[in-house]
Amino acid sequence: MVISLLSPIVTDIGGGYLFFKDVLRSALKKWPRRELVFQQIWMVSTQSASTTALAGFFVGAVMTVQFTMQIKQFGALGYLGGLSTSATIREIGPLLIAFMLSGKVGAFTSAELGTMRVTEQIDAIRCLGADPIQEIILPRFLGIVVSSFFLLAVGLFMSIFGGLFLGVLFAGINPEEYLRHVPAIVKWPSLAIGLFKCFTFAVLLGGICTYKGYTTTGGAVGVGKSVVNTAVSTMVAIVVADWITSVIAESAGIIYMSW
Amino acid sequence: MGVSVFEITGRWLIRSLNQLGEFFYLFFQTVKQLFRFPYRWKDTLKQLNFVMIESAPIVVFCVCAAAAVTIVESSFHMKIVIKNDELVPGFAALLILRELGVVISALLITSRVGAGLAAEVGTMKITEQIDALKMLSMNPVRFIVLPRFIACVIGGVILSFVANLICLYVAMLISEYKLGYSTGSFIVAMRSFVEIKDLWFAAIKGGVFGSVIPIVSCYYGFKCKSGAEGVGLATTNAVVTSSVMIIGLDFMMSWLFSYYY
Repeated sequence: MVISLLSPIVTDIGGGYLFFKDVLRSALKKWPRRELVFQQIWMVSTQSASTTALAGFFVGAVMTVQFTMQIKQFGALGYLGGLSTSATIREIGPLLIAFMLSGKVGAFTSAELGTMRVTEQIDAIRCLGADPIQEIILPRFLGIVVSSFFLLAVGLFMSIFGGLFLGVLFAGINPEEYLRHVPAIVKWPSLAIGLFKCFTFAVLLGGICTYKGYTTTGGAVGVGKSVVNTAVSTMVAIVVADWITSVIAESAGIIYMSW
Repeated sequence: MGVSVFEITGRWLIRSLNQLGEFFYLFFQTVKQLFRFPYRWKDTLKQLNFVMIESAPIVVFCVCAAAAVTIVESSFHMKIVIKNDELVPGFAALLILRELGVVISALLITSRVGAGLAAEVGTMKITEQIDALKMLSMNPVRFIVLPRFIACVIGGVILSFVANLICLYVAMLISEYKLGYSTGSFIVAMRSFVEIKDLWFAAIKGGVFGSVIPIVSCYYGFKCKSGAEGVGLATTNAVVTSSVMIIGLDFMMSWLFSYYY
């Protein structure tokens, strides 16, 4: 029972590790063609920009409502902007926006690669004497990492506006007052933690969805299965990585430097 | 020349209104099929297993992680400003029941179930299985969409219950071990902020979000263009559109329910 539950997880971790090694080695051997990477960056960014911005807006709005209800009774509404921006940027923002992004980017890439695999296009590339990892996987991996990082950062930026919007609408404070406390509470360590989390999630997302798509088996049903698997494993990986980065940041003492 | 802001906005508006109309059309077709017995129970149960049972662990895991992170962060920040975090447990319960539990679980179901459905139906489309169904004079809406629709609505309602309850439990554990409030005081704070009404509203939200996911995913699956890129594009569009619709509907329903609190 336990072994049958654990064996796919262990297989995934080991296989993903070996796959990641292959990708990195082919990146060191020969850099991919620049236009392929930029094509991926363009596709991922243009497809996901609106969703990421909307998710960021939503997260900021929810956090502002939550803090408004709590600090209203203490008459400390002036701190609202700084509080909700700091909480969003450091923890909850990267986590939730990465959930949204994993559904989008991960599903697209693994469905595309999986269909290539089951229609034997990847084998055709290998028959032509080219390395499929070099030709297909590496540009996608690099493109997803770069563009996910920037998309997450854009989402965090939008979360400030979401918080501002709800702060004006729900808490009834004016925008200048909301923004005045943001630089006082959000110092560079908070921003650094948030962006570091964004980068970690971007690498995880790019690695997992290319791995799952590349190792698809079993026809049309297999494509659907690998899309579902991608979503599940990306989310679990993101949560685990979030905990690990938080623990690292806390033990390094960065988390309390901001105040 | 000639491409002005108005033209772009108008084109975008017309396209999205068109799409909204087609979603409603598919929705009403599905609802019409709902009154025609018998259902395909076997397929419905299989889909229910996929939507509910297999999604439950991941949804609960991620929602609980999000809730724990929110509580710890808000306690940390409340301590910065007013040196006092005694309101955190009650408001955490409020946040979980009103927004966090159901919306995040719906978004997670979207990226798991919605993407899977769109990929499956899209692959059916490009391998001409849907045309084969039509040849056999079977209604694809009845054959494919209806079981998934029923399964997703039931699954959405039940998953919202499960996610909310386990999430509240985790919030209780976190506030005991991390913030130092006993379980009794957590429950007292929770009872003073939320009512059982909130749980029913969350269940209604879960049902509505559950009905959005299969309609949008199957629509994009039916529209899937041939080739490897078509399937990928269909999944992306399905996930994007359902996420956006879920967030929009959530704002609308929160506004609507705020009159009943």
